[in-house]
Amino acid sequence: MSEEILKALTQLFAIISKQDGGVSDNERGFALNFFQQELEKSAVEEYLNLYDSISGYHEQTGKHVDDRSNQPTSVKDSIRTLAICKKINKTLTQKQKVVVLIKIVELVSSDKQFTNQRMEIVNAVSTVFNILQEEYRLIESFVVSEKVSSLDFADILIADAGNEKSAPLQKHLHAHVDGHLVFLHVSSVEMYFVKYLGKDANNLNGFIMKPGRVYLFSQGSIIKTPDGGALYYSDLIADFNEEIQTIKLSFKATIEEFTFRNGVVGLRDVKINEGPGKLIGIMGASGAGKTTLLNILAGLEKPGKGSIKINGFDIHTDKNKVEGVIGYVAQDDLLIEELTVYQNLYYNAKLCFAKVPESEIQERVMKVLRDLGLDHRKDLKVGSILDKQISGGQRKRLNIALELIREPAILFLDEPTSGLSSRDSENVVDLLKELSLKGKLIFVVIHQPSSDIYKMFDKMVIMDTGGYPTFYGNPVRAITYFKKATNQVDSNRGQCEVCGNVNPEQIFNIIEARVVDEYGQPTNKRKVTPMQWHEMFKSQFKPSAVEDTREEPPKTLQLPSRLKQTIIFTTRNFLSKISNRQYLLINLLEAPLLAILLAFIIKYKSAPDGKEYIFRYNENLPAFMLMAIIVALFMGLTVSAEEIIRDRKILKRESFLNLSWSSYLFSKLAILFLLSAIQTFTFIAIGNWILEIQGMTWSFWLILFTTSCFANVLGLNISAAFNSAVTVYILIPLLLIPQMILSGVIFDFDKLNDVLSTKGKVPVVADMMTSRWAYEAMAVHQFRNNEYQKGYYDYEREESRADFKSAYLADELKNRNQFLIDNLQSKNDSIQKLISINNHILYIELINEPFKEGIAQLNLKDVFVGAGYSKEIGKQLESYFDIYKKHYQQEYNINAALIEKKMSFYEQQGFDIQREKNEFFNESLSDLVRNISTKERIMEYNGQLVQNINPVFQSPKPKNTFDYRTAFFFPEKNFLGITMTTFSFNLIVIWIMTLLLYLTLYFELLRRFVDIFEKVNLPVKK
Amino acid sequence: MSPLLLAADELTPSVEFNKKNETFLIEGKSLLDNPTPFFSPIKDWLKNYSKEPNANTVLTVKFEYFNIATSREMLDLLKILETVPASKIIWQFLEDDEDMEESGQELAELVSVPFEFQPY
Repeated sequence: MSEEILKALTQLFAIISKQDGGVSDNERGFALNFFQQELEKSAVEEYLNLYDSISGYHEQTGKHVDDRSNQPTSVKDSIRTLAICKKINKTLTQKQKVVVLIKIVELVSSDKQFTNQRMEIVNAVSTVFNILQEEYRLIESFVVSEKVSSLDFADILIADAGNEKSAPLQKHLHAHVDGHLVFLHVSSVEMYFVKYLGKDANNLNGFIMKPGRVYLFSQGSIIKTPDGGALYYSDLIADFNEEIQTIKLSFKATIEEFTFRNGVVGLRDVKINEGPGKLIGIMGASGAGKTTLLNILAGLEKPGKGSIKINGFDIHTDKNKVEGVIGYVAQDDLLIEELTVYQNLYYNAKLCFAKVPESEIQERVMKVLRDLGLDHRKDLKVGSILDKQISGGQRKRLNIALELIREPAILFLDEPTSGLSSRDSENVVDLLKELSLKGKLIFVVIHQPSSDIYKMFDKMVIMDTGGYPTFYGNPVRAITYFKKATNQVDSNRGQCEVCGNVNPEQIFNIIEARVVDEYGQPTNKRKVTPMQWHEMFKSQFKPSAVEDTREEPPKTLQLPSRLKQTIIFTTRNFLSKISNRQYLLINLLEAPLLAILLAFIIKYKSAPDGKEYIFRYNENLPAFMLMAIIVALFMGLTVSAEEIIRDRKILKRESFLNLSWSSYLFSKLAILFLLSAIQTFTFIAIGNWILEIQGMTWSFWLILFTTSCFANVLGLNISAAFNSAVTVYILIPLLLIPQMILSGVIFDFDKLNDVLSTKGKVPVVADMMTSRWAYEAMAVHQFRNNEYQKGYYDYEREESRADFKSAYLADELKNRNQFLIDNLQSKNDSIQKLISINNHILYIELINEPFKEGIAQLNLKDVFVGAGYSKEIGKQLESYFDIYKKHYQQEYNINAALIEKKMSFYEQQGFDIQREKNEFFNESLSDLVRNISTKERIMEYNGQLVQNINPVFQSPKPKNTFDYRTAFFFPEKNFLGITMTTFSFNLIVIWIMTLLLYLTLYFELLRRFVDIFEKVNLPVKK
Repeated sequence: MSPLLLAADELTPSVEFNKKNETFLIEGKSLLDNPTPFFSPIKDWLKNYSKEPNANTVLTVKFEYFNIATSREMLDLLKILETVPASKIIWQFLEDDEDMEESGQELAELVSVPFEFQPY
């Protein structure tokens, strides 16, 4: 309260108290008391003097008092009051004004001098304050009245030991209170006040309540009675607000038996029936199945034999009916460590409330933060457990806030107080209690609660080792129950008579008491086995029936569309990534560093004279390209492999929201692809720059980016399937090494194990490797499309084809024809076999041969497939092959001449062909894609001739429309009758593989597969 | 605009608001617990007047006594007068009634209309 206002109030006090009869000691005492509350000791004097001088306390004598008793309020006092009130109006909020008004009424009532003049002033004050007349009357009655029966208002609640209300309109609450606690609800400002009429020393928020005094009953207030009873703020709110009592919620859990995967029984015969507005604790020795019970109740695990029903809807079979009804706060943090407190909550809220406008979401977030005392911490990063930015209590509260913000009707919390200070623990449970009083049903696994916390619970479920429930009911009663069961003295007493404390530890001391041997040492045997406790429990308790509603449970969840979810996920993801400096720095620097390292090492004075670096002679180019692909795969994998594992806990929580899995995955992909794009670009830009690979940046980048995206999705797959980062990282070599082995560069495809290889075709196993597609695309593209080769490729291709036919194929076919002529009469089986092979080969080669001079009239089918082959035909063919050879020699010469001509033309134009070749063309790569190192330029495989030399100049010869297969480094691919360049075809193949991996990710196939393996029990020695 | 004429009784003052004569006078005492019904027509009249006021408006207030509820109404009244250009209050009080004089002074601080104090 500001000095100005306090002065104004002092004046008001003084003016009112000096009216008819003058200041009484009671009034002055009240004012003094008020000053003492509001002011420092030193200032009290000053204000008291002000009060005295205006009220004329020192001038008046006993006699005077009676004389002046009927004098009307002086006009000056009236005007002054008016002036003061106007001033207050300008500075105080309506809430504060209500408090001021109550203070004034209290002042008057402190002396019980309710004269007209005084009440007139108070009334005038209330009108100037714009307080409704009815509300003023309510406030006045509340402050003044000493009899509860005279308080007949709907906004009054009396808490006392009686069972009935004393006036028809007022509300009543049964409580163990000596006398009455009177609560006032001022609805216009939503404020609550309390006063106590009685003789006990009740305690409001730790302060003794003076009987008759009015106290503000603020949010979260607790009144504790001397005998240990407690009245919570929310208790009162609930009672004032009839709406809460109409919440339709029933929770019915029947778990006959739950068995773990390894066959151990986790829970037996648990029955829980609850309605709205309850705070239920679950306690038990370690290993008693508390968390298991909670997880089953929350629907995280299926109950085995039994069912969990909310309002009659089974949470496993009627999933959509109970969507968003359940909230779950796990024991571990489910926070995104890289985001701030506010962001964590904000994005969570965005995912829950699709239809709530932005401003309201922000408001709600702030409200929850305020409610949980986190508002001043809102811009701090959550930080990891090791790098704590906010305290453990605050983390916990934030975890709870994430669930609170969407207000699920049923909330499950696993040890929300573990690791918290007792003060923090109490705050958290206070908060839960408040929520429960707003109509939520809350289950809490609690460990070693303090007396205060223990008593806050409405009911306690106590579990014993082996999953046996041994108690389910009022917490304090639990203590007497177990005491009685073991015939202890003072078994009727649950709590300390003096301090009202209970000792929950007692319960476990009793439950787990051990038999003592003759030396007084406790043995391993328990006095009462869990099963005996359970039998005793069953015989004494019947689960209370809860009204079974079939209405859909209340829910506030409104999920955004998938697209919006994707955007929200992506933003959240993006923010968390950029706020992690280390992560960002390493990921962005990794690629350029590797590029520099790699390119620097493999750049040498490659010119034939060894004096300078010439790209053309750099023999490391093929290896560089392979490394680039491996780097793209590696970066893509490592960056994504941990993604889902990191989020697993958050996903567990969000699973209650039924958020879209594909939106989540898309958000991951968006960020990862972006990162891949940047990484691969920086890598290839720098690598190409150092190695002077010109004009290939974008095409290489596209290949590497595609490869990296594939690796991203692959990484997400394993990230979704395995549950630890270590497993995932161990898996990476397993995924990468095959990519290297089967890339086609390190090991020749023709020299692989015969089981795998198909001569003249890339083996099918290699077709499953991205590296092979990427490498082929890269190599073929560089060779075919570099600035130098571009101009001659088509001529060289013709030249190469003609060369092959004239230099190798002509002789080969001639020889085979000779064999047929020589063995025309042979009946030898093995020779017959060779004859038919040769027939077949000749047939295939000739039928596809465009040059048929001299054999045009031959029916090739008749000759080679039918039995039409004769010596004459053989001779005819022999001379044909001579012409054939000559023809292609000629063709070769024509193309060679064309190339030469073109080169000289360019040279005339001023182009330096040699320089161009040095800059754009690479000999090693050319050797590689032309396969000139092969010894067998032509070979027979499976009854066909296979050309091994010059794959990059060949064309695919598909057997059928689906036959995409060719040898490595073919310039084109054919599929479904469409011919595509290897570059485009291979990229499409990688994207299709990526898409397939996305589908396995979406359906979590790998995870299911892994789960099947996990279910297989390995025999364990017992 | 017809003049507003109210005769005094035990609990209310006399009122004479006459635009033609340029007479604006409140005189006597005001003791009603709820004076709002009494003052409402006066305030309404003044509001109407403020739409077409005379060149000068001088309101003479000559109270013997008024209670706190009336003080609120008076303040409202003066607030309306604030909207009338060239308006003025003549605050008349018994020569030895310091209380009334000081009240006038306090009231003058709450509004922007100039006050002239006249003991009688």
